[in-house]
Amino acid sequence: MYTSRQAWMFVLPALLLYAAFVAVPILQVAAYSLFSWDNGSIKAFSGLANYARLGTDGVFWTALGHNAIWAILTLCFPLLIGLILASILAERSPRVVKVMSAIYFLPRTIPLVVAGIIWGWIYNPIFGLLNYVLDLVGLGSWGGAWLAESGTALISLNVAGAWTFYGFCVLIYLSAIQSIDPSLYEAASLDGASWGQRFRFVTVPLLKSTTLFLGLYSAIEAMRFFDLVWVTTQGGPGYDTEVLTTHIYKTFFLVGDFGYAAALSVVLLVIVLTVGGLSYRILRQS
Amino acid sequence: MTRPSRILQHVFLLIFALYALMPVYLVLLASVRSEADLFSGPLTLPWPIDFSNFQRVWFESGFSQFVVNSLVISVGSTALVMLTAPLAGFAFAKLKFKGKEAVFALFLAGLVVPAPSVIVALYGDLQMLGLLNTRIGVILPQAALLLPFSIFMMRTVMEDVPDELLEAATIDGATLFETFIKVVVPVVKPGLLSLALIAFLFSWQEYLLPLVVIQDETLKPLTVGAATLQGRYGVDYGGIAAAGIIAFAPIVVLFLVLQRSFTRGLTAGAVK
Repeated sequence: MYTSRQAWMFVLPALLLYAAFVAVPILQVAAYSLFSWDNGSIKAFSGLANYARLGTDGVFWTALGHNAIWAILTLCFPLLIGLILASILAERSPRVVKVMSAIYFLPRTIPLVVAGIIWGWIYNPIFGLLNYVLDLVGLGSWGGAWLAESGTALISLNVAGAWTFYGFCVLIYLSAIQSIDPSLYEAASLDGASWGQRFRFVTVPLLKSTTLFLGLYSAIEAMRFFDLVWVTTQGGPGYDTEVLTTHIYKTFFLVGDFGYAAALSVVLLVIVLTVGGLSYRILRQS
Repeated sequence: MTRPSRILQHVFLLIFALYALMPVYLVLLASVRSEADLFSGPLTLPWPIDFSNFQRVWFESGFSQFVVNSLVISVGSTALVMLTAPLAGFAFAKLKFKGKEAVFALFLAGLVVPAPSVIVALYGDLQMLGLLNTRIGVILPQAALLLPFSIFMMRTVMEDVPDELLEAATIDGATLFETFIKVVVPVVKPGLLSLALIAFLFSWQEYLLPLVVIQDETLKPLTVGAATLQGRYGVDYGGIAAAGIIAFAPIVVLFLVLQRSFTRGLTAGAVK
């Protein structure tokens, strides 16, 4: 037998590391947000003054809107593609499944920084692959400076983001489909259900909780992402691809406004913790 | 299934394979394309095949050092995770102790914490500790940020250890720690390998932490090095392509060799 103290010794190393570099900094950020700062040091207690500025900070609301659009686009595209690919693959031989899922997942192993650089090239207006291919098929007039134009920048970035994410969705959906009782599919087939009907009436309903998980996961990721934007557009053109994390980074390192950067960080934390807490409850119920 | 719909499915599978592979193929071509061949179109096969891009970034742009730094940071963070997360995961899965639920909730909350939201404080803390502009200054917060996922995954893995094994060890008079090392670790080895791979992958890919912590050119990891190279010589496409490949090739090879372990780890954290 063991004492409670002995058990604690198992948790303690992890807890110390986590407290020192995650938990305590979060408390510090919350405290910093209540002060006005001057040149990296505290000037005066300012209560909620930093938060009061949020209302009039247009960039903040623009950025938040982009995070929301990012989340919706992720739900529409990588999740749906992942679900369809996984349901097709589930009926193929294990070899095909192994090779194809490795291919789909490959982009996820590439650092987002490098992914950003590669997609920056694909979208390059002069020598980029996208305009080149459009030219080849006679659609040259559709070409553009994808990441430098206000109308296309955010959605183009999202296609690059989806590139690194849909393979993950395939993996998760595949392992969920493989745990569905095969007799359900056999029964549906015997009743004369087509592939589309089996997909619609067996796969989709039974994967509801997987979809829920991936949806909540991508909503949180949509609030957290930074690398991809930072190496491609740094939030530009103008503020067209600004997101909360880039706004924090700029406010902290470029403007040097520690108090307001801390307030923005707290807002980000409150959002992800709320979504995270909701996810935990919903997923535990289902 | 009807033939046309089966063909349609094949087409669908292939289109998205192309989506995954085309950008990688593009970089591979660009990395071995000589300067003279630069304007013959992104998809034409480069000729003659030219490895001077790799030579240049490796020897002149500091990439031989960036690789070392990436290795040091990733191995360091992975080691820290491996020394702490399995122990904690075991305690959360198998032991009873006061405050267990509260501590677990604290770690659970960390699952969603974005690195950018803590840098405002972390930057000053590291400065105070004298860890700014050091690799250990990246390793420590990196490992700490990986802990919530790692502990969550380890708890799932440890739950599958049969209680009878633990009881038998206790009856033999083994202490808790001895039981962990001699009985638990051998049983969960595949899970440990998965965790190590994922911790390594995430550390290797990290960009923001080293970007913020490290200024010294000789301490930068590959991610920061590649981004700097892009900013500095915006026109050296061959060089940037070679740099990109140096940055992702090791991890891609690791993934292809150990695909099963990777997949198991990623889905274990997610599916439960």
